[in-house]
Amino acid sequence: MDSRKKALLAIIAAVAVVTVILLLWKPTVLIFGVQRAGLYAAVALPMALILGIVHIVNLAHGEMMILSAYITYAVARALGVDPFLVMIPTAAVMFIVGAILYRVTIKHAIEAPELNQLILTFGLAMVISQGINMVATSQPRKLSLDYVTASLTIGDISFGVYDFIFVALALVMLLGLTFFLKKTTMGKAALAVGVNPRGAAIVGINVHKTYMLVFAASAAMLGILGTFFLTKMSLFPTAGGAFTMKSFCLVAMAGIGNLPTILLAALALGVAEAFIGSFAGMGSWTHIVFFAMIIAVILGRSFRGKSL
Amino acid sequence: MKKKYIFWVIIALAAVTIPLFSGPYQMSVLRTVLTYAALAVSWDMLIRSGQLSFGIAGFFGLGTYISAMCSIYLNMPGIPAIIIGGIITCLIAMALGTIILRLRGMYFAITTLALGEIFRIIIRNGGEFTGGPEGLIIKKLVFDGGTIPTYYLALGILLVAVGASIYFQKSRFHLALTTIRNNERVAMTSGINIYKTLIIVFGITAGIQALAGASFAQMYGFVTPESSFSGDYTLLPLAMSLLGGMYGTWGPVVGAFLLGILSEYLKLYIPYGHLIIYGIIIVFVILVMPQGILGLLKKKFRKEAV
Repeated sequence: MDSRKKALLAIIAAVAVVTVILLLWKPTVLIFGVQRAGLYAAVALPMALILGIVHIVNLAHGEMMILSAYITYAVARALGVDPFLVMIPTAAVMFIVGAILYRVTIKHAIEAPELNQLILTFGLAMVISQGINMVATSQPRKLSLDYVTASLTIGDISFGVYDFIFVALALVMLLGLTFFLKKTTMGKAALAVGVNPRGAAIVGINVHKTYMLVFAASAAMLGILGTFFLTKMSLFPTAGGAFTMKSFCLVAMAGIGNLPTILLAALALGVAEAFIGSFAGMGSWTHIVFFAMIIAVILGRSFRGKSL
Repeated sequence: MKKKYIFWVIIALAAVTIPLFSGPYQMSVLRTVLTYAALAVSWDMLIRSGQLSFGIAGFFGLGTYISAMCSIYLNMPGIPAIIIGGIITCLIAMALGTIILRLRGMYFAITTLALGEIFRIIIRNGGEFTGGPEGLIIKKLVFDGGTIPTYYLALGILLVAVGASIYFQKSRFHLALTTIRNNERVAMTSGINIYKTLIIVFGITAGIQALAGASFAQMYGFVTPESSFSGDYTLLPLAMSLLGGMYGTWGPVVGAFLLGILSEYLKLYIPYGHLIIYGIIIVFVILVMPQGILGLLKKKFRKEAV
């Protein structure tokens, strides 16, 4: 317990030092970093939920988010309405898609070796991204909305305000998930299944139904997230892969089953990426940061003698 | 026993004499199939130790670039450039392996998945030296791009892969790798140096993948970040190995021939997203017949023999 407190203190001190330095030197890095962190945390939370309860790495995670963004895009374009009006129907559709994906594929691999599960979800990722490619072609898509460009100027720095919506989304997701897992019967059952599926089955919890619910709920969360993603970013079929890897990196950094720490990990990743990107000509190197972080985490853990 | 012998002689004769009675189009299709077969076999070699790698495209791409740079900056002829590409990538993989082979299961798989992306970003941002987003052009193709000699080149690389794979199956490595896959603790108590064994296998498989990539670069004469590190080079060999049957040398080869020839037809009929078929095959094989086609056939023959 003592060493944990020390580690916590060290983290807080490091965060404080970094914040002060950045505030004085490059205040925009902090703003953009926090905005990025919001998006990353929001993507990583559903993955952490599946990993913590179903114990499966869903390599189709990012692709499912992109799929829901495409669904929202298609419907919003066809009806000529704001994408946020389509958000809830998309989430409902994704809930069903998630339930079907679980029922048809994942369920049959729950008892299979881990390697088979990984290959299976990798295959699903390819089916989704190539399916999108087949239907919508690889042409990038973007909605132009006027409210996303709103900006704010403080002193001599100006920045987009809209992106903070990702931070709010991540916080809402975390609070909602925590409430669900700690306060509702269904959530408690899901946690129990996550800790010990056999024990949960003995006390009368339907394990497969719980898995299906968790998987579908994560898909629905990705459905909501997809809409937010669409309002700001441009879509192309293979855009999801990077988010799968970054989400996994964050979940691995935070430790499986540790939802609030994901926000911290996302903050570190977001600020580090914004920091690298703030130097001229370094913009395209930002996507390497998460890899450096994952290697650092691995080394840190292996030197402490803990197996991952 | 004699029947088996005749079967192999026929296969070998067919492989060697095929250029005599087929046109340039068939040759180029076969060349691609042979290269994919080498990738599939090398992937299978690593999975036999229980380590799932999604890094095929990364090492393939590294091979294309290293051999291209050898040709451009050092004026090396094609064949030495290909071999150097394989050797350097093998060394890079071993160095990386010292870090990432501490990982197991999903951690290892996703880190290797990221590797391809990382190599691509580094090459893309490498400026003049790596050619940046436009890539590099090799002026002089290997064998001047002739289809028949390059067919033999691809055949040679497949033979290297198959040879290495058979060596790993027949030698003491086979026992070591299988034990590591089944139970690391047992492997450790049997005196197997798990870490060292895995680094050797990881390096050799990456080297073979780079050889395949390097030969591609020298045949087609250009490398770009997007084409060299394309995710197809991970997806296709994986689907081929799975369909043919994992944990053996010939499963991946059979899978590569089936899917490689199928893909030529698919490309014509579905211009966008024909790769969805490979995704579906992966999902289907894992769920319905994880032992693959060869596994099913073997089971059937064994039953008939009994």
